[in-house]
Amino acid sequence: MAIRIALAGNPNSGKTTLFNSLTGSNQYVGNWPGVTVEKKGGTLKGNKEVEIQDLPGIYSLSPYTLEEVVSRQYLVTDRPDGILNIVDGTNIERNLYLTTQLAELGIPMVVAVNMMDLVRKKGDRIDIGALGKALGCEAVEIAALKGEGNQEAAAKAVAAAKAGKAAPSAVFEEDVETALQKISEQIKGSVPENLSRWYAVKLFERDEKVVADLKLSADRLGAIEREIEAVEKAQDDDSESIITNQRYQFIAKVLAGAVKKAGGKHGLTVSDKVDRIVTNRILGLPIFAVVMFLVYAIAMGGWAISIGTMGTNFANDVIFGEWVPGLFDTILGALGVAEGSVVYGLIQDGIVAGVGAVLGFVPQMLVLFLLLAILEDIGYMSRVAFVMDRIFRQFGLSGKSFIPCLVATGCGIPGIMASRTIENDRDRKLTVMTTTFMPCGAKLPIIGLVAGAIFGESPWVAVSAYFIGIGSVVLSGIILKKFKAFAGEPSPFVMELPAYHVPSVGNVLRATWERGWSFIKRAGSVIVISSVVIWFLSSFGTVDGNFGLVDDLWENVDDAYIESVAQDMDISADEVVAMDDSLLAGVGNVIAPVFRPLGFGKWRATVATITGLVAKEEVVGTFGVLYNYEGEELSENGDEIWDNVRADFPAAVGGFAFMIFNLLCAPCFAAIGAIKREMNNAKWTWAAIGYMTAWAYVLALITYQVVGLILGQVAFGFGTIIGFLLLAGLIYLLVRKGYVPEEGARNLTSVQAAR
Amino acid sequence: MPLSMTTEGDSVTIVRLTGTDEVRQHLSEIGFVVGDRVTVISNSSGNMILQVKEGRIALDRKMANRIQVGLSAE
Repeated sequence: MAIRIALAGNPNSGKTTLFNSLTGSNQYVGNWPGVTVEKKGGTLKGNKEVEIQDLPGIYSLSPYTLEEVVSRQYLVTDRPDGILNIVDGTNIERNLYLTTQLAELGIPMVVAVNMMDLVRKKGDRIDIGALGKALGCEAVEIAALKGEGNQEAAAKAVAAAKAGKAAPSAVFEEDVETALQKISEQIKGSVPENLSRWYAVKLFERDEKVVADLKLSADRLGAIEREIEAVEKAQDDDSESIITNQRYQFIAKVLAGAVKKAGGKHGLTVSDKVDRIVTNRILGLPIFAVVMFLVYAIAMGGWAISIGTMGTNFANDVIFGEWVPGLFDTILGALGVAEGSVVYGLIQDGIVAGVGAVLGFVPQMLVLFLLLAILEDIGYMSRVAFVMDRIFRQFGLSGKSFIPCLVATGCGIPGIMASRTIENDRDRKLTVMTTTFMPCGAKLPIIGLVAGAIFGESPWVAVSAYFIGIGSVVLSGIILKKFKAFAGEPSPFVMELPAYHVPSVGNVLRATWERGWSFIKRAGSVIVISSVVIWFLSSFGTVDGNFGLVDDLWENVDDAYIESVAQDMDISADEVVAMDDSLLAGVGNVIAPVFRPLGFGKWRATVATITGLVAKEEVVGTFGVLYNYEGEELSENGDEIWDNVRADFPAAVGGFAFMIFNLLCAPCFAAIGAIKREMNNAKWTWAAIGYMTAWAYVLALITYQVVGLILGQVAFGFGTIIGFLLLAGLIYLLVRKGYVPEEGARNLTSVQAAR
Repeated sequence: MPLSMTTEGDSVTIVRLTGTDEVRQHLSEIGFVVGDRVTVISNSSGNMILQVKEGRIALDRKMANRIQVGLSAE
């Protein structure tokens, strides 16, 4: 039978790093608390019999947030055969608090003191043998990031699990230990033998959930209560505090015998000095804005330093403009597939054009992900959450809502899941509803296309997309917080700030590659299929009453017919092309009026927007297929597609509105699935999707009509009035006096809501 | 006095934790223990970064108000 070993420890103590090293897997590691929100399993390298579980980081077994519940549930109910407790050696006192709780579970345990390299560098010494002895289990030294001692720690944990012995030390003072003993007697038979100490402590703390679960008789509860009260009276404190304080006293005693500090630690570290600047009340936000501007400018701007854009231009113009189509021309020619045949069209105009349009953006994406990964690994992003807390809080949101937003700049799905670190249920739901406003990796091609085709590669387009995302989260927070369902104070902000460190090359490259690779994989699967579908629908249609390939049929039509098509579509006759008679154009033309007030009511942009539901990259993939029509020949390079795109957005502001709508509207199906899982409720899921789409529509309409009018790109009309009305409505929702809940009446925590 | 009223560089002793049981418990678990010393790394209008044991903890003003401290004798 397989042996199950659980990795448990404080947030940011290096569990996932150790997990990756032990199992050879590539789980994402980030330098902030709460990166792992779900437990993940893997098998130990070199021993298929051993299963390793990576648990979300927790400070204690008394659950405060949802991811703590996940860990507690697993440890208490699923009971692994052994626990490998990772302890951050640089903050050993706080970390051992959890250790004292884990020891009570009666599961064989090994304590791995991590970051020993840093401990030694500071000049501190840990007597690992004495530490283990005092804790009642084996202790080992490791440096997970450097791979020192990892395998040995796992081997010891496996050995301990096989031996199956657990001998927790007496942590508490005599009177408490005596009371625990008596409580254990009362619950004998009601709880598993090896969990008896854990339950006794929980009962002593009057843990409501445990009291309710055990269903003890009134007699026994009375006897237990008398024991607790006697101790409380003697110590003049409540039972929960007694337990907490004595745990720390025990730890202090253990450390006094096992740890020698180099001393003279007072004085600010470099980390502290940096923090004083980057979290400064006045400078904090501008610094963050400048950092993000540089990140997006380097990845997606049109400057001399914008290496991402250079790569993408090369990919679009040369690789997917000449080499790949040329290569397929040669292959198809050799196979005897004639140009102009259905198969040729399917491969060149469908797959190559669609997938190529998406893959062309890989360089920009890799550069962006690389820069973001560096910022994360240094530890800057957790400071940003703290800086943003001050701003978010004024709008009734916690800075913790910002972490999901940061994660969502990679992909919305982990972003949605990261909302589990939020303690308050309303805030968690609100964050799930708004976090996909952030521009995820798949939306980058949309930004890149709009910036490149319509705005001459201005870096401001990408930067604005980022801040439109944040702005939408903040404004939605303000608006929604005024409704009864979301009203109330956000939970207070408490977060550990990891020390800054030099980014690990392996970590940064892994994070970059993982995100980039999932993008490329999707381009090879979902995007291929969607591009084929789009190509079929755009190539076949009814021309003048005959069904078939529109290109072929189009050769026989007369001017009068072209004129009638032009009239139907409300464009001039020389703009009409064969594709305008395709099935896709038919569908698109029906829906297009919906988007006309937003400035992109042409069927191509409409269809692209809808295909964005499959995957946001497909918006650009669709453009690649649909705008690839110039002349008989395939476009020579990306610029031609861009010219065609530009022609469809006569007012540049319409292009911007198109981007806004596609960035903010309902996310892709996969993300909708994640929202459904996190909301765990159909009504809330639909509310979230409906809200996002409505928000996107309103914002895009205001941008096109009102901003367009101001810039002189859009004429005054009925739409302008609607635009101003919506703007007024938006302002009203922002400034109106919201619902004020009764004091403390609606402070349901995420944990309570999940029960 | 509440922790939020301290200034950068102060080293103070925790006297009392206030608020609901749940909040007090969580504060203890992340290292705020009565009798322990904490050092104020930065304080911008109540939003603070503190050295608590060996770690750095960021708190907002509301949470900082729940921690009563006294200036250290040392």
